[in-house]
Amino acid sequence: MLKTRGRLDQELAQIQEEILRLGDMVEQAIQQSIQALKKRDVALARQIIHQDQDINALRYTIEEQCLTVIATQQPVAIDLRTIIAAIHIVTEMERMADHAAGIAQLAIRMADEPLLKPLLDVPRMANIACEMLHASLDAFLARDPDAARAVADRDDEIDQLDDQVFRELLTYMLQDPRSINRATFLLWVAHNLERIGDRVTNVSERVVFMITGKLEELDDRDSRYENGASF
Amino acid sequence: MNKIKVSHLNFYYGAARALSDISIQVQSHKITALIGPSGCGKSTFLRCLNRMNDTIEGTRIEGQILLDGEDIYAPTVDVVELRQRVGLVFQKPNPFPQSIFDNVAFGPRVLGLHHHRNLDEIVTESLQRAGLWDEVQDHLQEPALGLSLGQQQRLCIARTLAVEPEVILMDEPCSALDPIATLKIEALMQHLKTDYTIIIVTHNMQQAARASDLTGFFWLGELVEFDETEKIFTLPAQSLTEEYVRGRVG
Repeated sequence: MLKTRGRLDQELAQIQEEILRLGDMVEQAIQQSIQALKKRDVALARQIIHQDQDINALRYTIEEQCLTVIATQQPVAIDLRTIIAAIHIVTEMERMADHAAGIAQLAIRMADEPLLKPLLDVPRMANIACEMLHASLDAFLARDPDAARAVADRDDEIDQLDDQVFRELLTYMLQDPRSINRATFLLWVAHNLERIGDRVTNVSERVVFMITGKLEELDDRDSRYENGASF
Repeated sequence: MNKIKVSHLNFYYGAARALSDISIQVQSHKITALIGPSGCGKSTFLRCLNRMNDTIEGTRIEGQILLDGEDIYAPTVDVVELRQRVGLVFQKPNPFPQSIFDNVAFGPRVLGLHHHRNLDEIVTESLQRAGLWDEVQDHLQEPALGLSLGQQQRLCIARTLAVEPEVILMDEPCSALDPIATLKIEALMQHLKTDYTIIIVTHNMQQAARASDLTGFFWLGELVEFDETEKIFTLPAQSLTEEYVRGRVG
């Protein structure tokens, strides 16, 4: 049977593929930034910063593809929401890569001195963030709102680790004020990862919106503030 | 406020049922679009609203249609008066082979409206309301068939307006027109809805999305869904509606 919207379907599939490719690049940037930090590898850190331009470029390419589909194919209902979600998702992913580049910058600044402590929680935060990103894109592909909501739930794990890192580094700083510089840099690293977690939550919100047409707040940040747990 | 209330309408061409159990309330001063594939019953439905189907032999209707609370199929109803209140604009512009002026003046003359009001005034006002006055004011005695198709369609709208209707039915009014002429008709509809209630049948889903306030989706003689246009094109309640507006079925 003749497919009535063959071209639209093909273009949506293409956008989907590019989003996955962008997701892989962002995931890699996050993991590599932690590697650069761990190994105090300045060359790798510079490479991440350089590669951020490719991520930015791909984001703009996808956005242009989305605009072209809107202008030429007049998508409606879930087709339109898929495209609107795609534009938001690539913007969020591009910003995640900026956070990874930020960590790479910090890795360069910290490279001359030994690490304050062995990195345990920070790589854990990065791993969870990457798993979340991966799972949110799987939910996007599978059009599964429950899976997207489950991803957002995991942001709490990152937030808890962030609190843990903060408390631990505070102890170091109190014990030895000479550690303040290195501890602060590490705090910034953790903060970048915490922000990545928030952005994955935003991606999940967009996935839920794409499928259900409803904008749901999946971030329980407000309740965290109420508990006074962190900032 | 509801202008037209249709309850459990069935319509038959001989033994074939073309409309099944249609219930819908058409709101005053709104543009209601009816969409659906060819043969789904939307034009048949439109023609039930001013009893144009009466002219087709072997047709039968069940259910009720109220115009301002009055049954339009009641035996006491004067069909000519009904069609004056509920005007119809056709798919293809169909001006009479007469002058522009006489086309617009035709209805008022037949109905004797010119006894109450100056005919020039009626024609001028109708052409102005139809957005055609500026283009034809110096050529009123020229043949209507010399106008472009888009102008002819606006002339037909002016002809409808001249008999002072309350409801304007439009059956695919833009399908023979180019895109700019189409947009002019759509702009005109927006302008007219302050004074009239408009129901438009269209095959062009983008037109329904652009121009209407409410949309009804017909499928195989049934009204599958009727809701605000915004909802029909973003988050329809029925999966069949969604498949149709996305261009996947039909």
